[in-house]
Amino acid sequence: MAGSASLRQIAFYGKGGIGKSTTSQNTLAAMSHYFGKNIMIVGCDPKADSTRLILHEKAQDTILSLAAEMGTIEDVEMEQARLWGKGLFDRETPGGWINCTESGGPEPGVGCAGRGVITAINFLEEEGAYDEDGLDFVSYDVLGDVVCGGFAMPIREGKAQEIYIVMSGEMMAMYAANNISKGILKYANTGGVRLAGLICNARMTDREYDLALELATRIGTQLIHFVPRNNIVQHAELRRMTVVEYSPYSDQAREYKELARKIVYNDMKIIPTPVSMDELEDLLLEFGLEDEVDESQVGKAAHEA
Amino acid sequence: MFILGFHFPADMGNKVPDEKVVEKLADVDLSDVNEIKLLMGTKDKDKMWLSYTNKNTFLFKAMVHYFKEENPDRAQKYMIYMNRYQMSELSKRLDAGDDETMALCKNLDTMEQFRIEVA
Repeated sequence: MAGSASLRQIAFYGKGGIGKSTTSQNTLAAMSHYFGKNIMIVGCDPKADSTRLILHEKAQDTILSLAAEMGTIEDVEMEQARLWGKGLFDRETPGGWINCTESGGPEPGVGCAGRGVITAINFLEEEGAYDEDGLDFVSYDVLGDVVCGGFAMPIREGKAQEIYIVMSGEMMAMYAANNISKGILKYANTGGVRLAGLICNARMTDREYDLALELATRIGTQLIHFVPRNNIVQHAELRRMTVVEYSPYSDQAREYKELARKIVYNDMKIIPTPVSMDELEDLLLEFGLEDEVDESQVGKAAHEA
Repeated sequence: MFILGFHFPADMGNKVPDEKVVEKLADVDLSDVNEIKLLMGTKDKDKMWLSYTNKNTFLFKAMVHYFKEENPDRAQKYMIYMNRYQMSELSKRLDAGDDETMALCKNLDTMEQFRIEVA
């Protein structure tokens, strides 16, 4: 496998729309800026939105789109596919640096996202991207759909070893977190992939911390951080920036700094123990988010009940 | 595993005993602190100050430690949500008989923002 022995390959997974790309970019920005870490981002989502805040761009050219434009992947140059971060994250700026790639993928409804991810990983490996001097972390930002072929690629290829699941206290986000744990479990016994923690990207719902903590504990992992909701994240995004760069002394930047510190020093990497759907529903009942439903009421509209 | 910002090695599992966290706070100096002041809220019109003076509790010690950590100028400090929730979670077990502390924990459990000062 390419890359030095000390290289850590992490991945952010989670339900679609949970804020994976925002959370991952802000966290990686903090790891680079406050802790001097050198990072390569591999965007593994056809949406190609995993690097825009680091690059201050709408979207970078993806490896698949460049290959389509040039004719074959062999004609793509590394300089086209891998861009250096702007501002704080440039190679020339003091502190850590971040470089960025996006795998790209098919148009919605056509083809397999997994193909884009595998093509991108192979390309980066052959071009020596994993051997870049001083590289500390490779981070994969992976699409949320567990049944999509792209989901498992960074794991199956022996790349992503340390998985962080971005979730919230909402039912479907917790359901997805548990499902992703099942996916990790499937590959954990044959490879080295491990679950490294849940990140609660809070929706600020009732007892959200308690709920996220309980799920993490039952899955056998840790709730590594609770990221509160703050409008400054959206303000920074409008300028295509991370909060760390937009307002480095803000409260939210402190939250990302603390999450970054924990990831840098994290040594808890486990094989998850996913819960059953019944257990998940019981957990929501236990924390009072769902009233117990009389079986006779199932399927009835509010005005009928 | 991280509790109140302290790192506990992975071989301790994901349920670290409370006494291990308490041990980490053994050297916190409370001699120069008589009162913890907490500014609760986000919108100016709704902000309110809370005072906490019960020095004999785990919560007091944990808050003083949080305030003093990397804060040589003793400036007002934003409270990281996770640390605050963990303080409350532990305090509800360790300071269970103390009504004043339990009332404060109820506030700490909310989604409001907190800033901390000491006097």
